[in-house]
Amino acid sequence: MEYFADLSFTFFMLIPVGVIIGIIFGAIPGMTATMAVAVCLPLTYSLNLNQGLALLLGLYVGGISGGLVPAILLNIPGTPSSITTTFDGYPMTQKGEGEKALKIGIVSSLFGGLLSAAILAFFAPLLADFAIKFSYIEKFLIIFLALTVIASLSKNLLAGIFSGVLGVYISLIGTYDISFGGNGDIRLMPEFLEYWLADGFSLLPVLIGLFGLATIMEEAEKGIREEDLSSKMVLGSSIKFSFSVFKGQVINLFRSGIIGTFVGMLPGVGGSAASVLSYTQAKNFSKKPEKMGKGAPEGVIASESANNGLTGGALIPLLSLGIPGDSTTAVLIGAFTLQGIQVGPLFIGENMGTWHTMVLAVVIANFAMFLVMFFAIKYIAKVITVPKYILFPIIIMMCVVGAYAINYGVMFDVWTLLIFGIFGYLAQKIGIEVAPFIIGFILGKSAEIYFVKSLESFGTLTIFFTKSPIAMFLWVLIVVSVGYSIYSTIKNRRQDKFDGHG
Amino acid sequence: MDNGISSLFKVKINFAESHTFFPTIVFWVLLILLLLIFIFNGRPYLRSLRNGERKLSLSLAHVDKLRLPGTLVLTVAYFLLMDYVGTFFPNQGLGFLFVSIPFIFLLSLLYVHRIDRRKILAMSLNALIAPSVAWYVLAQLFNITLP
Repeated sequence: MEYFADLSFTFFMLIPVGVIIGIIFGAIPGMTATMAVAVCLPLTYSLNLNQGLALLLGLYVGGISGGLVPAILLNIPGTPSSITTTFDGYPMTQKGEGEKALKIGIVSSLFGGLLSAAILAFFAPLLADFAIKFSYIEKFLIIFLALTVIASLSKNLLAGIFSGVLGVYISLIGTYDISFGGNGDIRLMPEFLEYWLADGFSLLPVLIGLFGLATIMEEAEKGIREEDLSSKMVLGSSIKFSFSVFKGQVINLFRSGIIGTFVGMLPGVGGSAASVLSYTQAKNFSKKPEKMGKGAPEGVIASESANNGLTGGALIPLLSLGIPGDSTTAVLIGAFTLQGIQVGPLFIGENMGTWHTMVLAVVIANFAMFLVMFFAIKYIAKVITVPKYILFPIIIMMCVVGAYAINYGVMFDVWTLLIFGIFGYLAQKIGIEVAPFIIGFILGKSAEIYFVKSLESFGTLTIFFTKSPIAMFLWVLIVVSVGYSIYSTIKNRRQDKFDGHG
Repeated sequence: MDNGISSLFKVKINFAESHTFFPTIVFWVLLILLLLIFIFNGRPYLRSLRNGERKLSLSLAHVDKLRLPGTLVLTVAYFLLMDYVGTFFPNQGLGFLFVSIPFIFLLSLLYVHRIDRRKILAMSLNALIAPSVAWYVLAQLFNITLP
């Protein structure tokens, strides 16, 4: 394996470190995998590319997996994607099968993670090969499609689209970059801000603000309630775990892992969508659907195998198209840029070594997650009880470090962190959705260049429809995704009316 | 006739003005979306207001009036002081270290419920150790720029 020749011992050590920190973040309710990656970013500033990837991917896999611990033991989903784990996991704990449920969840997570890594390894190069032929026009349409898909899957179609377009608008603040054929003029800001905002808002402080600081402000609004979790938590170990639970569940494992992976590929769709979908499917196909929700192992299997399937899935559009599949990969895109990686259709072909290292890191991270959780689950479960008045101040401190150091000491980046922390906190109150916003923000500048350059060279708007069969096909997808969401909105509204009268 | 329609879609972009071309479009799209949101979501909302089904009063009852504003004030003070103190010790990251210690302690104090001696001890230790470790690892070992 010539690609792995230059991997150091540090590389293999950083993966479990990342996994453990990730699991801790995932396990503490209110803290997510996205936050884990955002807060730990400064640690990667001084690492080289491979080591940085090791830590980041470890954090990602660990963060997604950790959510099952409080979901099963306390009926609180540690991350949004473990909501469905509570349905059957917690009833199992109540029956004294807590440890068994945890181990079922961990094994399913491992399976989902590995399956999705395999799909990633197979699918991302294919998609990238296909996307290499894209001209600016198809690239613009891909971004347009990504934004419509996110919007159509958000709670409110119009609010979702608005959030995405707002993200695009905010990203345009600053200079119209000469290096991409712009004219170098500054736009969208009053003159006195030009000194600070000539390059626009930096991506990472924006992300850290939205996912780190905003979360803490939400918790502060609720008063940082403290519950005595340690006394509530009973790790029932009366019934021992054995692999025989998985007998007859192989199809469930595969189905859920695949659902997770493919939902993960859709940009901006959170993990909860994947696990809810696979849980419903497991219920539909179950021989004893009446037991689901009352402590059936297959519910835990479906949920956990799906939410770990997300990890590989979300990396597919990120690595092959440069479009993040969820908010965590949105932070990863920032971290990659920092390491000098430009993700997009050319990435895999031009960086074979890095690409193989990434797949390897995802696989190792999944095994590390399994080993850590399977054998140290009792100690990890204790972490949930670390009080928030100790944790949150540290998180704010790490947010500051991450924002300040990103451009080698720019205080304005720290203020950006605060601005977007407050924005993220207020946005949810008025119905702006953060996931479409952030994807719009990340893709906005490229969208502008693709759009304007296409028009400059072809001189007509019709080219977006007639350039190639791929362009037409993308339009079909765009129309389908908008149409589907309008259809489901109308259906829901009817349902509401029906329920209201009935 | 054919020419007439296709000329409708003709676009010519003046390079000197090209930096405002796309932002202007996005701006108008935002406005149209706002209008649509008002038509589809705002009108039913206003109607329910008029019928008295919903009240306009923004309820602040569930907001923690101490911890939320406290977080904001402390964070702003933290950022300002860190920068200010840092100017006395250029390039050593000591502004960060010296200001983080009281910040972490005060924020813990703000967040904690039912305070007792054991908690104060834990908070003080945390406030001393966490920034010191962060400062040592990042600024000293990894040479990362801190205020």
